[in-house]
Amino acid sequence: MSLLSPHLPTLQMLTYLVRRLLLVLVVVWGTATLAFFLLFLSGDPVNLLLPLDATPEVREQFRKANGFDRPVWQQYLSYMGRALQGDLGISLRNQTPALGLVLERMPASMVLAGAALLFAVIFGVLAGVIAAVRKGTTLEFVVLFFALLGQSLPVFWLALMLILVFGLELRWLPISGYGAGPIPGLPALANLVLPAIAVGTFSMAAITRLTRGGVLRELRSDHVRTARAKGLSERVIIYKHALRNAAIPVVTVIGLQLGNLLSGAVITETIFAWPGVGRLVLTAVTQQDFPVVQAAVIVFAVLLAVINLVVDLLYGVLDPRVRYA
Amino acid sequence: MKRSWIGFLASLALFGVAWAQRSDTIVIAQGVDVTVLDPNNQLETPTANVLANIFDTLYMRMPDGTARPWLATSVRAINPTTWEMTIRQGVKFHNGEDLTAETVKWNFDRVIDPQRPLRISNSWANLASVQVVNPTTLRFITKNPFPVFVTRLTGFYILPQKYVTEGGNRYLQEPVGTGPYKFVRWVRDQQFELEANPNYWAGAPKIRRAIFRPIPEASSRVAELVSGGVDIITNLVPEAVNAVRASGAAEVRSVPSIRNIFIMLNTSGKADSPLANPKVRLALNYAVDKRTIVKNVLGGFGQPIGCSLNSYIFGYDARSCQPYEYNPARAKQLLAEAGYPNGFTMTLGSPNGRYLNDRQVAEAVVGQLAQVGVRAELRVQEWSTYVGQILERRIPTDAVLLGWGNNEFDADNSLYSLFYGGTVRGGPRQVAFSYIRSVPLDNALLQAQRTTDPEQRKKLYLDALRVLRAESPWIFLHQQEDIYGVAKRVDWKPRPDERLFVAEMAFK
Repeated sequence: MSLLSPHLPTLQMLTYLVRRLLLVLVVVWGTATLAFFLLFLSGDPVNLLLPLDATPEVREQFRKANGFDRPVWQQYLSYMGRALQGDLGISLRNQTPALGLVLERMPASMVLAGAALLFAVIFGVLAGVIAAVRKGTTLEFVVLFFALLGQSLPVFWLALMLILVFGLELRWLPISGYGAGPIPGLPALANLVLPAIAVGTFSMAAITRLTRGGVLRELRSDHVRTARAKGLSERVIIYKHALRNAAIPVVTVIGLQLGNLLSGAVITETIFAWPGVGRLVLTAVTQQDFPVVQAAVIVFAVLLAVINLVVDLLYGVLDPRVRYA
Repeated sequence: MKRSWIGFLASLALFGVAWAQRSDTIVIAQGVDVTVLDPNNQLETPTANVLANIFDTLYMRMPDGTARPWLATSVRAINPTTWEMTIRQGVKFHNGEDLTAETVKWNFDRVIDPQRPLRISNSWANLASVQVVNPTTLRFITKNPFPVFVTRLTGFYILPQKYVTEGGNRYLQEPVGTGPYKFVRWVRDQQFELEANPNYWAGAPKIRRAIFRPIPEASSRVAELVSGGVDIITNLVPEAVNAVRASGAAEVRSVPSIRNIFIMLNTSGKADSPLANPKVRLALNYAVDKRTIVKNVLGGFGQPIGCSLNSYIFGYDARSCQPYEYNPARAKQLLAEAGYPNGFTMTLGSPNGRYLNDRQVAEAVVGQLAQVGVRAELRVQEWSTYVGQILERRIPTDAVLLGWGNNEFDADNSLYSLFYGGTVRGGPRQVAFSYIRSVPLDNALLQAQRTTDPEQRKKLYLDALRVLRAESPWIFLHQQEDIYGVAKRVDWKPRPDERLFVAEMAFK
């Protein structure tokens, strides 16, 4: 723990961690409960699973076999009971454990989110710094214009345009699918490029604007004036003094964006036929495959809560004044 | 210039290998992935389309809609409740197991086991038992006469008994059948690979390898086809037809499907509803211009039709199924005769995206009804809620747009399941979709279920169709067409049952 910040007493840090982890449990339980009742309200999955001409008797039998005939509170209690033992039910469509289906697709979603984040951070920070340093020039205007565009473009449009230009016209990159990369389980790099850009563009634009704002603020601050007075080079001033301090809000946003990137890639995954969780959830929602939707909600709740915790801990590294109490 | 060279070289390096393999491999893209690998425990077209290459059925549906002996060499009715079947000899499963009468019996016992119902068990509820007479002959004893026995055999797949019973869950991961293709590998949501079975009993297939890819987005499927990434795509939308044609690499092939689209009129419990009057229902049929809808909304991919059957289906009668003519003047006259000279107001429900351009079809109907004074208000609903309301008979609108794909190719599935009104004493209850109550209709439909004589059944269905023509219970619209995008190098004709048999495909 002392690695995180030399100023932190370990015990205080530990209590903080334990408290936060307990909170994670509450959040996950709340989300799972909410999802359960919302799904319940969305109707009876039996009608979608059986052919339209199945007799009422067959429907009833199917309902019974899957426990849909019991009162909702009974279904809820038995679901939660099994969930505590790690059993999130069997997919109605695929007839295999729902949790397995979700976890199986997690790597694809994580690779995509990671690549998108990498793209967003590298280009976002770079563009943000350029815009701040070149304030008042045409370059700043161009960067800001594209940042605005990046935040306004609907992702499905961007995705289709990328396919049209780089997949169909130029034929540089594959149009859809995961491909087979050199490392088993990982996609081919070429297959990753277009989806990562489609998913990452919004975040990149957000990071550009935030970085620009932060760096501008820092460049006007006292410590930068002092650094200049000391005769430090402009490069050191920008990257060591301005950017590091400007990074706190950026890290917050990156953390929040990571959640978005992981769970919000539904459209991109569908358009690029990417075998991720987003696409699985979309299919499961339209088919009312409750156990799969529920499992995905729980997995994402855990993931997002943990990401938020990590972001909060990172503040300490970036800003020693932050205390965990 | 320099950049495009880098891009070109990079793609060569990355895809060179893939290109080299493509000459003996066909790639087929459907909208969704396979769900389960037990062909008798699923009811989904995309899944069946893949598994039907690995597993054989006892009878095979031919492209013209008829059923032909396949793993069975013959089936005959000994009496109304007993069928005798002979099994093809010398057939082996991919793992070397022999196909015997015993194997077939075990397959049926598995499906009718009340302790562990499978998704297709519903279709075999009428089967009481199966007996093995000798190593190649079986007898099927049914509870009641079972006229659709043979047609249902086309959807019954044969699994290897030993492999399933002795191999644990392996049959659910590595399926083994007797079919023209062997299972190679399945990576969920990525691809499903098959390789030709050189020892297939009906002759080795021409294409060595097949890959099924799920690509959910319609425009991505088109882009893959046009760029040569895949050879066949399903569910091509009419809007993309020109793009495919203009590509030069692929073409559009279509086939009239087994699915009809119509508007159910809800007349339950509303005696004063205009829709309870047969004259009004006839007027609505005259008021809708089916030809224009097919031409403008479906890009020409469909055919107007005046009943819930189509020409593939046993029991179809061209005369009783003729499309109602478009005649707004006659419609107005009929409305006036029925006491609605100024028309009336009604509500129409429609799903969005369930059938080919369904919402747009409903919008066109609303516009055309307005021409004769019927003011229909359109309510678009999400499919799962929509279908639930229909099945539970609590439709909130006066009418609903619906489609029906008759995958049994027998009128029983499109007439009994849609119109049986439960008026026969001691007979079954009314079906969910029926809003008319006609004793002659119900009698004909029930009798046709209880006789195995094809000629008599044809006559009974003709009676039923005539009653329906007189009642015009619904607004009958059109028969859909299934539209595929197919690479020019592929020799293949689409089938009405939507199956994608790779053994029927070849490279030109």
